[in-house]
Amino acid sequence: MTTGGWIVMTLSIGFVLALVGFCLTLVLKGDPPSRDD
Amino acid sequence: MPDKSDAPYGPTDPARPAPPSEPPRKGRIPDGWGSRLGVILAVAGSAVGLGNFLRFPGQAAQNGGGAFLIPYFISLLVLGIPLCWAEWTMGRYGGSRGFNSAPGVFTAVWPHWISKYLAMPALLIPLVIYMYYVVIEAWCLGYAWSYLTGDLMLGSDPEAYSAYFDQFVGARQDGVLLTPGGGSSLVWLVALTFVLNFILIYRGVAKGIESFCKVAIPAMVVCALIVLVRVLTLPPTESGRTVLDGLGFMWNPNFEALSKPGTWLAASGQVFFSLSVGFGVIINYSSYLKRRDDVVLSGLTASSMNEFFEVCLGGLITIPAAFLFLGAAVGDQGTFGLGFNALPNVFAQMPAGRLFGFLWFFMLFLAAITSSLSMLQPVIAFFEEGFGLKRPASASLLGLLSALGSGFVLWFSQGMLALDTFDFWVGTTLIVVLALIQSVLYGWCLGIRRGAEISSEGARFAIPTPVQYLLKYFVPLYLIGLFAISVYKDLGPRLLQIGDNPVVLGSILFISTVAAFLLLLIHVAGRRWSGDGSFDGLEQGESGEGI
Repeated sequence: MTTGGWIVMTLSIGFVLALVGFCLTLVLKGDPPSRDD
Repeated sequence: MPDKSDAPYGPTDPARPAPPSEPPRKGRIPDGWGSRLGVILAVAGSAVGLGNFLRFPGQAAQNGGGAFLIPYFISLLVLGIPLCWAEWTMGRYGGSRGFNSAPGVFTAVWPHWISKYLAMPALLIPLVIYMYYVVIEAWCLGYAWSYLTGDLMLGSDPEAYSAYFDQFVGARQDGVLLTPGGGSSLVWLVALTFVLNFILIYRGVAKGIESFCKVAIPAMVVCALIVLVRVLTLPPTESGRTVLDGLGFMWNPNFEALSKPGTWLAASGQVFFSLSVGFGVIINYSSYLKRRDDVVLSGLTASSMNEFFEVCLGGLITIPAAFLFLGAAVGDQGTFGLGFNALPNVFAQMPAGRLFGFLWFFMLFLAAITSSLSMLQPVIAFFEEGFGLKRPASASLLGLLSALGSGFVLWFSQGMLALDTFDFWVGTTLIVVLALIQSVLYGWCLGIRRGAEISSEGARFAIPTPVQYLLKYFVPLYLIGLFAISVYKDLGPRLLQIGDNPVVLGSILFISTVAAFLLLLIHVAGRRWSGDGSFDGLEQGESGEGI
């Protein structure tokens, strides 16, 4: 595994984990879906 | 094509659609998601499939390793996620006007008489893909079972796994799977997965699909993480290869690959197919949302969960494990070769491989079933709202249709020719056409300005304006280009194949017959909708022809 490989792998997985974390935090924090309409 | 994006859209504008809070359309069978997380998990479950774990790593290894991730993420941002947002927006918009099926949703988005017919691929694609996908699903179940019984611990000879697979899927002779004493249990496994799918779909959107996905997706994560830990802690093999070598084979970047157009095409194709855009599924699932449910965040979350399975799990497990035991040759294997020949060989050589093989194929089975469920719902929704059928009748009709197709695939199993033909014409080519139709509907018929307003209802954040312009101009052009290249590369040989092989010709005729049948049903449903006033109140198309 080269240094380039480590960098690409870390950035790729980090980007995806950050995206999932950001989205799930907002989803779980948000109001429950409106059921009145 | 009319572009209403510049049209005024104030609260008193007569062109403004009727408020979505109006009572449901006459005859509509109420259904809906139980929670926001439920629909996200269901859409993610629809997208996550064998392609995440088997196709993505193979594509990356063949196209520049880590460098492949650069065009891959660019494609995700400029093509994949924008298309998802367009589908989520149009689906919820159609649902708020009382339509859950694609013909109804398309007509709500663009009230022109032809809209409902343009939606035919949104029914044909999930139906035909289900016909062969349920067979692949049964492969996964069969392999998981074979690990429990120990039948798949065949040593290190690659030929043994290839022979096992060919015999199991009936690849050597047509009809052998449906002949008593044919030597494969596949037909029973297909029947079992069929029954399981229909039990879940019969229970409805919330009690069936959503409840199952809420259990299945976390279970998939747990299974994949256990296998991932096993792979990352494997000792060096006798040949001296280590896990780090395997990771390097997958992730070491070869930036020269970025100068090849094929790398960019492969990356965008992978994103496109992986996210399940153009399948007719998202537009149906999102039609069950309430008016103020957040489509922007939900779409982004479902897409990012798909990426988690693909990049973080698929990218770390499949190729590194296969390279460790089998060497660089694994990079050239296709999806089925990697999944059903190379990986079983890997598990057989791995400490406690029987347990990890079972977990892996059980996880693939769960991934497949959450996808196949999503393929049934669009057609069920059409039967119910197009003809007022109750769930038992619509499920029976769909069961009959899909069983005919799966029976066709099972009978013509030699060389998996029927499966391959269904997959090429419907699962590869037609989805690009449907995605193109949907992007034009969103960008040019609904209009990006109205699209922005509709999508922002209930949203924590709006779709960025540049993305709207991408959807209007770049995405349709890109999809036309993708379709043209695919036609240029593959269509000639495929057309020759039709003349040369009766099974291929029969498969094409089968698909065409189903398509014609669906068009007829759409025509009848359209007359019924016009008759009962379902289309009343929809904004008239700019062509003035109305509906």
